Amino acid sequence: MNDVPLQVEMEQLMLRYPTGKVAVSGVSLSIAKGQFIYLIGESGAGKSSLMRMFYGAARPSSGVLKVEQLDMRSAAESRVRQLRQRIGIIFQDHKLLFSRTVFENVALPLRVQGWKRDRLVPRVQKVLEFVGLGDRLWSYPETLSGGEQQRVAIARAMSANPPMILADEPTGNLDVDTAQRVLDYLTGLNAQGTTVIMATHDLQLLESHPGRVIRLHQGALVSDSHAGQAYVD
Amino acid sequence: MSIDIPAGVRPRLPGGFKLPPFGMHQVLALGIVAVALWAMGLIGLGVQMVGQWVGSWQNEIRIHVYLDNKDAASSDKLSQALAAIPGVQGVRTISQDEAVAWMHRWLAGTGVDDATLAKRLPISFAVSIGDHAGKFLFRDIRDVAGKFGAKVNREEISLARAHDWLQNLHKLAWFMEGVMALAMALIIANTLRITLIARADELHLMRLMGAREWFVRMPFLLEGVLVGLMAGVLAWGMQWPLVWALGDWLHALAVQPHLGLLLPELVLGGAITGLLGALVATMRRISPDLVDY
Repeated sequence: MNDVPLQVEMEQLMLRYPTGKVAVSGVSLSIAKGQFIYLIGESGAGKSSLMRMFYGAARPSSGVLKVEQLDMRSAAESRVRQLRQRIGIIFQDHKLLFSRTVFENVALPLRVQGWKRDRLVPRVQKVLEFVGLGDRLWSYPETLSGGEQQRVAIARAMSANPPMILADEPTGNLDVDTAQRVLDYLTGLNAQGTTVIMATHDLQLLESHPGRVIRLHQGALVSDSHAGQAYVD
Repeated sequence: MSIDIPAGVRPRLPGGFKLPPFGMHQVLALGIVAVALWAMGLIGLGVQMVGQWVGSWQNEIRIHVYLDNKDAASSDKLSQALAAIPGVQGVRTISQDEAVAWMHRWLAGTGVDDATLAKRLPISFAVSIGDHAGKFLFRDIRDVAGKFGAKVNREEISLARAHDWLQNLHKLAWFMEGVMALAMALIIANTLRITLIARADELHLMRLMGAREWFVRMPFLLEGVLVGLMAGVLAWGMQWPLVWALGDWLHALAVQPHLGLLLPELVLGGAITGLLGALVATMRRISPDLVDY
């Protein structure tokens, strides 16, 4: 494992919100490229806060956080923007734009990155075919089921072919079968070399789709299956 | 690999040099700004036509002072006293020949001989007024003239006072145009702000995906400029019916409104105001999830 480059490094990472609430406290771990990570823990354990720090929506209060070698505490806004172009994000409520077609939703990251239409259209078609929605290009999200909407969100996250995908409770609103399918797509992406970091409550998924499990509790790291140890009983 | 975009489907990709969808808010803003620009255009047109109406006299204002021939002995002293008044640029004694020639032109060939005219005409002084006439200048001229038994041409004083009044009106017009421009900028800013809030999710997503700020804001700046431009053209078009309706009256006043000059002013003014409004609207970004701690 030592020769695999690290994608995320944390050392005594801490995040304190202006309200005084400590969301993440003293977390030290590293994530190598190509891993599939489950972030688990109760609501308020710090999973989402940790993920937000990964893409620069929140800056660490203390400690070290490096994402793709970029020090997230001191990185300039322009560098953070560049980093965000290399990260695909999937939200629990998928954050699709309902006034725009599936095509327009999925094309958004490519548009931001300045892709020309002749490259952009086939790419959107390809990623939608990957998630089984190749025939829904011109539909509006409201005409899709919850599972299909989440698949559009996955397609959007992977459209620019990012080396890392962050998924914040992507199966939270889905039934078991649909959740399994969503996870199939994410593991499929992981098999192609994409690092996937997924926050979840759904422990059943861990059995069907194994990965490295990092457990947080009240903002602190409790256990890491990769390290093979529990930090706290 | 190529795919066909079905007929009637026009993908709209946000950000950069793409205009956001034009909706009811924009149409309303366009209407309000066009009316405000129309009012500004009317003021501009009014100033332009008043300028034509008063003609070139305002470029060189002269007040004539007349001294009866029987008081000819004091003409030099009167001339010196007039020249000493603060605000008076110069005093010229009009020769009798010049006065007679002018009188002939004015009487348009009534057959009165030069000698008769010369005997009846008073000694005339043309008093030139500087650009910065004092508040009491005309009263001072009248007082000095009165001291020597001379008379002042009252109509010319009225015209000179009208000139001052027009200058104040001009300043007031500029002030009103400034206030209206500010109001228009705020209307455009408010409209764009509504659009920004309505599309906050989209803008937030673009920022999450690493979009640059100019990329996110550019469509709104373009929209502001476009609303201003269109309103300018509309306001210009709305000047025409009024000018046509008042055509005979304006003709009687020997005034010719130059609407062509107004078009670039309204269009450029509208665009600048629209841009200003858009800058105000996009000054504060709406992405609550992207706060630095």
